[in-house]
Amino acid sequence: MRPAVVAPLVALAVLAALPVFVGGGYGRHLFILAFIYAVVASSWALTLGYGGIFNFAHLAFFGLGVYGCGIAVKVLELSPWLGLPIGAIAGVVAAAIVCLPVLRLKGIYVVLITFAFAQLCMHLILTQSGVTGGTQGMVSIPTLKIGDYNFARDGRLAFYFSGLALLAVSTLALLAIVRSRFGIGLVALRDNEDYAVSRGVSVARQRLIAMMASGALAGLAGAYYALYLRVASPDIFGFGLMSLVLSMVLVGGAATVYGPILAAFLLTFATEAMIELGAWRFIIVSLLMILVVRFAPGGLFSILERLAPKRWAARAAAKAGDGGVPAA
Amino acid sequence: MMQDVAASILVSGLVLGSLYAMMATGLTLVWSTLGIFNFAHGVFMTIGAYIAWQVGVAEAWSLGPALGLAVAAAVLAGVGCLVEMTLIRPFIGRRDQVMICVITTLAAMTIIQNGVLLTWGPRLKQLPPLAAGTFDLLGVTISAHEAVIVALAPATLLALWLFLHRTRLGAAVRAVGQNPEAATLMGLNVRAVYALAFALSAALAAAAGVLLGSIRFISPELGAEPLVKALIVAIFGGLGSIVGTIGGAYVIGLFEALSTYFIGLYATPAVLFAAMIAVLMLRPTGLFGKR
Repeated sequence: MRPAVVAPLVALAVLAALPVFVGGGYGRHLFILAFIYAVVASSWALTLGYGGIFNFAHLAFFGLGVYGCGIAVKVLELSPWLGLPIGAIAGVVAAAIVCLPVLRLKGIYVVLITFAFAQLCMHLILTQSGVTGGTQGMVSIPTLKIGDYNFARDGRLAFYFSGLALLAVSTLALLAIVRSRFGIGLVALRDNEDYAVSRGVSVARQRLIAMMASGALAGLAGAYYALYLRVASPDIFGFGLMSLVLSMVLVGGAATVYGPILAAFLLTFATEAMIELGAWRFIIVSLLMILVVRFAPGGLFSILERLAPKRWAARAAAKAGDGGVPAA
Repeated sequence: MMQDVAASILVSGLVLGSLYAMMATGLTLVWSTLGIFNFAHGVFMTIGAYIAWQVGVAEAWSLGPALGLAVAAAVLAGVGCLVEMTLIRPFIGRRDQVMICVITTLAAMTIIQNGVLLTWGPRLKQLPPLAAGTFDLLGVTISAHEAVIVALAPATLLALWLFLHRTRLGAAVRAVGQNPEAATLMGLNVRAVYALAFALSAALAAAAGVLLGSIRFISPELGAEPLVKALIVAIFGGLGSIVGTIGGAYVIGLFEALSTYFIGLYATPAVLFAAMIAVLMLRPTGLFGKR
């Protein structure tokens, strides 16, 4: 079997066996957070890296998933299980709405409008404080249960496995998308828009589908986040979380699926290990991000590929395009 | 009664507009010259305010706010040069420069904001008003401090306009913005002009930060919300046109004053963002921009 298939399966098996060796408590909490961040970062890579769409609204899709689920479960008192699809739908709808202007614009204007959209979402949530709790956010959102079994019991064991399952499903979906004809067309549009269009690839259709798919995964991750942490805070829409997830995408490799996942694990645990450094750790993560864009634009995953024997690297490179951050 | 309300809305709109004009012009200057968007512009305002506080107010120094403003502008010009040389210059000319520079300036924002937190701590600080007393304008009593803001911002921006349009160096900045290749062929030092534009923009940000820091409390997040406002203003004015940006700043300032009065403080940002998205969809070149 090829290493590109074996390595992720081994990683999945190790993660699935890990709760046997590592007890509950804080370590497991970090793993669950890393699963969620990995979904958010790798789905962002679909638009930012593969699609070359300057989408800075991805954390807004995530945040709308958080709030959509929170409102459905706490205010409308629906089943927490229904909260998950509702979060995904919130992400898809938001992605479709932001596409209305995005599909007509180029370059920096896409950055600015997606950014403004995220801010608009935050302010709408702040103004609807009757439902969303305003600046206070939402607390004690009902959590996932099967019968009487609360997912947080036994050291969050059920959350660990459902989080891992979420990551596995999301990764399979992303791999299926980027390897399909659709995914190849998306990369073609990024690398040479005029040529791709002349060969019959539709800019609007490809970008709309890419945005909606990545919005759905981000919204789903958001809903899971709300059910796990049981809180929703407007800080989700701020610069802080966006910078963290952006660094995961770029440090890992924006035009890869596995890169952002690896980086999500790396940075979740690294920032936690550096917690005593206080504000310094944000400085360190930002410096790392700058160094990676400067010296390894394909991300750490491209370095791994370079270290691997040539024939694997060639095959991977053929799939991922030229890697790195897309052009205007 | 009606007249009082109208006059106070007008005055508050003028104060906001003046602040926004100071903030957004620097963004526009960098965009029109280098073709990159500087997300670190907001934290330039923050350090400007802190330096002015350190020089002008902090117990060890207390040399007065005017000297504080001058030192802040000078130091920020240096910081601007440094950011340009380390985070912008290596990427200029690359196919993906717009995107990369969004990323590097976002990173610079995080670094500087946390650096400020480490240097000055989380406690709020405040600059004294630039002038004491009150002033009568259009039948409304406003503080002399607000009057200084309303007067200082247009004066500074007029000086910038005169520099860009009436001096050889300013012409060089505009030439590089219009066509860097041709400017190079004419013997202009494009790199030096880029650094100059960044330094000017950062100095303007420092001045805006000092004005802002004297009407609000100074915290490491001081520049975050103004950055977003400056972004809206720059878009309304049409990215790249300095005159358009200044016009956009006063339109947004008055609009915000009106909207705060009639719709309320909390809903106003949502209205502004919705309006901005509408403008980008209908006229990506801005209200005053030309193709």
